[in-house]
Formats: sequence, C-alpha cells, structure tokens
Amino acid sequence: MAEKAILFDTSRCTGCHACQIACKCWNVLPSPTRLNENTFSGTHQNPPDLNGATRLIMTYSEADGALPNKPVAWAFGRRSCQHCTDAPCASICPSGTLYVHEESGMVTVDASKCVACHYCVTACPFDVPRYNGMQGKVNKCTGCVDRIEQGIAPACVSTCQPEALSFGDRDEMLAEAEKRLAMLKSRGYEHAVIYGAEEIGGLHVIQVFKYGVEAHGQVLDPKVSPITTLTNIMKPVTGVVAGATVIGLAVMFGLAAGYKRDKLAYNAETEDTISLETGEVIKHGDGQDTESVKEHITCNLPIGKKGGDHE
Amino acid sequence: MSNARVQVTPEQAASDQRFLTARKQKGTERYIVRHSKQARITHDVTIIACLLLCVTGLFVFVPPLTQLVGADVVFVIRMSHRVIGVVFVAVPLISAIMAPKGVAHIFKNLFAKWDSDDKKWMILFFPYLFMAKWIHMPDQGEIKSGQRFADGMLWFAGALMGITGMVMLLGSTVFTLGGDAYAVVLLLHDIGFFLIAVFGMAHIFLGAGIFQPYRGTHKLMFGDGLVSESDALYHWGHWARKELKNGKNVVEK
Repeated sequence: MAEKAILFDTSRCTGCHACQIACKCWNVLPSPTRLNENTFSGTHQNPPDLNGATRLIMTYSEADGALPNKPVAWAFGRRSCQHCTDAPCASICPSGTLYVHEESGMVTVDASKCVACHYCVTACPFDVPRYNGMQGKVNKCTGCVDRIEQGIAPACVSTCQPEALSFGDRDEMLAEAEKRLAMLKSRGYEHAVIYGAEEIGGLHVIQVFKYGVEAHGQVLDPKVSPITTLTNIMKPVTGVVAGATVIGLAVMFGLAAGYKRDKLAYNAETEDTISLETGEVIKHGDGQDTESVKEHITCNLPIGKKGGDHE
Repeated sequence: MSNARVQVTPEQAASDQRFLTARKQKGTERYIVRHSKQARITHDVTIIACLLLCVTGLFVFVPPLTQLVGADVVFVIRMSHRVIGVVFVAVPLISAIMAPKGVAHIFKNLFAKWDSDDKKWMILFFPYLFMAKWIHMPDQGEIKSGQRFADGMLWFAGALMGITGMVMLLGSTVFTLGGDAYAVVLLLHDIGFFLIAVFGMAHIFLGAGIFQPYRGTHKLMFGDGLVSESDALYHWGHWARKELKNGKNVVEK
C-alpha cells in the first residue's frame, strides 16, 4: 500500500459539519444532545475545540475579504490530527498507544494500551490529542485505518458532499493540491497556499488554504517543541548515566574488597586520636589538615614516600 | 586517616596509656547520638516511599516496561504512584512542622562555609572511591563536604519531584493543566528522576554501607541512630572530637 493522505480543499468546503458528524458516528463518540447542553461559543464552531469525545471539528473564521465582490472572507478549517510523518506524539508515547500505521503513514491509536501519561498531549505541535478523563484514555483521530485497510476512505472523506475532502495516495493528493492552488491563484486568491507538504516531515493531511494558513486556524510553521525533544532525550540519558553509575559503584566495591582500618579512640585530656590496634597517636588536636592532596593519595601506598605531619 | 605515627610528649604518651588501660578495664564502647528517632522515622518512611516511587515511575518512564505489563497493570501502578507520592510529600512536611529547629539545623549544615579540609575532602573523594585502602581523608565536621553536596542535590531533586508530581496530580484531577505547561512540568519531573536515580544510588551505596569503608553506617538511620566513637572519628573527625569532649550526646555501652 502506498503512503496515503487526506486532501482538504478549503475552497470547496461549505462548512456543513458532515465530516465532524461522520467521525462521531463511525467512531461511536458521544455528544451532548440535550437542549443548551453545549456552551454557545459565539460562532458556528461547536464544540469550541476538540475534546475527549470529539476528534474533528470544523473551524470558522470570518475576516474582511480582499476581493470587491466578496467583502466577507469565510475561512472554514478542519481541526484534527495532521498525521505527521515525524509524529512527536508517537515517538514520545511509552505504551505504543499512538503509532504510525506503516502501510498508510497515518498516526493511529490503540486506546487499549493507553496508560494516560499525557506525554502525547504535551508533544503535539497542533494541540490535538485530548485526554478523556472518564475513560482514562487519550483520544484523537485514528486516520480511520480500520477503513483504509478495507480499501475504504476515512469516514469524514466518504461523507463530504462538496468533495472538499478526498483521499488517496499521498503523491496524488499533493499533485491534486498543486492543481487546486493554481486554480485559486488564477482567480485572484493571492494568499492561497498548500499546507502539509513539508511540515513535521510531511503531513498526511494535505490542505489547500484559500486565505492563507492563519486565516484557516492552522499553525504557521509548526515545530516540535524543544521540551518534547528534551523529554525524549532524558530517557536514554537517564538510562546511560544510571547504568554507568551502577558499573562505577560495582568497580568501587570490587576495588575496596578486603578493606580494613584500625579502630580509633579519642582521649579528650590530651586531645590525641589513638589507634586501638597499635596504641599509636595518629592525630593530635583538631586542627585543619596540612598535607597536600598528593601526600594524601601517596602516603599510605605500599610504594613511595610515607609519613604525615599531624603534629 | 593517615597511618603515620604522630610524636607526642612523654606526659601525653603516659596519659594516653592510662586512658587506653581504663578503657580496656571498663569493657564498654562509646557511641555518639547522631540522629533523633523522629529524624530516622522521617528518613526511613521517605526513602521507602522514594524507592517505591522510582519503581512505579519506571513503568511509565521506560516504554518496554510499560508495554510488558500492559495498560491495566500500569493503571494500578500509576494510582499507587499517586498514593505513595502523597506520603513522600506529606511525611517530611509534617515532620518539618513538628521540628522546625531540626530543619533549620539541616539547612545550616548544608550551607555551612567550606574550610580547607572540606575542599581537600571533595578533591580527594573520587580518587578515594577507587583507592579507599590507601587514601586517607581529611577530618570533617558534622556533615562531610561531599555529603552536603549530595544531600543538597537529593533535597533539591526530592522537592522538584514532590512539587511537579503534585502539580501533575492536581492538573489532571482538580484543574486542567495546559499542554505546554504540562510538558514543562513533566520534563522537570523526569529531570528530578534523573537526579534521584544517580544521587540516590550513590547515597544508598555509601549510606547503607555497601561500600566497605562505610560498613555499619546503615544503623545511623535504620538502626538506633548511634555512631561508634571509632566510626565517628573516621568519618566526621572534627565533629566527633567536639562531641566526645562535650560528652552531652555520648552514650557508653
């Protein structure tokens, strides 16, 4: 199977929410249905953001239009997992819950493995994974790999009536995106742009933004956070340093085998510290040491100079 | 301590001889009280909690371990990690409230000015770890200079783990911690674990007396809190002489 991708052409989107609902239906995700149960967000965007039971939302942005015959620029967006090639959520996930589906390149989810560590939530440059507190599991778009494996397009794509969403081999989707972009440019949409060709190693959701990246609510030049990189580094570093510490301590233990020293006693009257084995005074008083570091190391060695000056 | 003999006056030698004879006749040994019962209980409960936290934390920190036991077992481990974490934070705090003077004493020692013996001890410490049979160390006060550094790191790492752990616990239950803030707190928690792992292992190696020159030191915290005169003179010479001269904390048995 060739690498797959979803293509989203914002110029064809009618903002109908069908993709959002299809996602809910296919993945059996509940939604508040009672009257006024959802807080009004002030826009058509509802719910206001992704949540533990919502993997995809349509976003709505209303800006001043640049063209004289279109004074309002309705910029619809699709907020969901972008299925990064170098997915930081998958690389940081300790349990194998999030992983890249090798056949399609989609970043999918095996919720049964989730240990609710939140690492993925912190790593995503698009702020996509959501923790479902009730289930104690993370929730995000799976790329519908269950459908892809059966030769069916993801649920959101299948349901899209204006054909704003399409699905196929990634190379083909990129080529199609180029055509759509050329068409938009020819019609005067100078800020139109393709998103997802190179970002985070290349995304598996290719988007054609009619009014530019930010107008459609996407992250301009997304980057993996240095915190995520550091967190990924911390694990091997801790392992190596802890292992080296254990080896070092074992060597110290081995080298000190057979160690013994004289028992000591202190005569407060004379201020002498005395060896109980030999009866000899090894220190008088309580002054600061006067030997050099080198003398400390060499004076008891079986070779070289012996002596001390604890007078 | 050096094996070299020190010259003393004949009067001193005679006094030392009388001292040794009297000591032998008595048949007892002198010990110095080093740690109070409260300090020992606090230390022991905290260290057991810390070890359990390290083990339970590994099941999230090390991916192969996470995958080996599966999500359900990790869930139980994570919940126990939270409960033990509360013990790890609460016990030292309660103890500190009960004995503020003890806390002040600990931190006074941690930040005490380093004298020339302290500096020399620190320079000699790493060679000593590999050549303990030959290198003699300068005398030390109540807390060795290296011990001050290591203990300071453990205090710091422990506090870091406690604070970040509590923020994550509350941030996933009482309030919602944002992704970026959670990432920073999680990284700090991982850094704290790194420090605890390294300094904790060294602390156990020395403090539990696994390292031969430190044999018997486990009794200071896990036993009766007494240190023998001989061990005290070897490890904390300046402190031992002051205590033996003063006699207030000296026990004979």
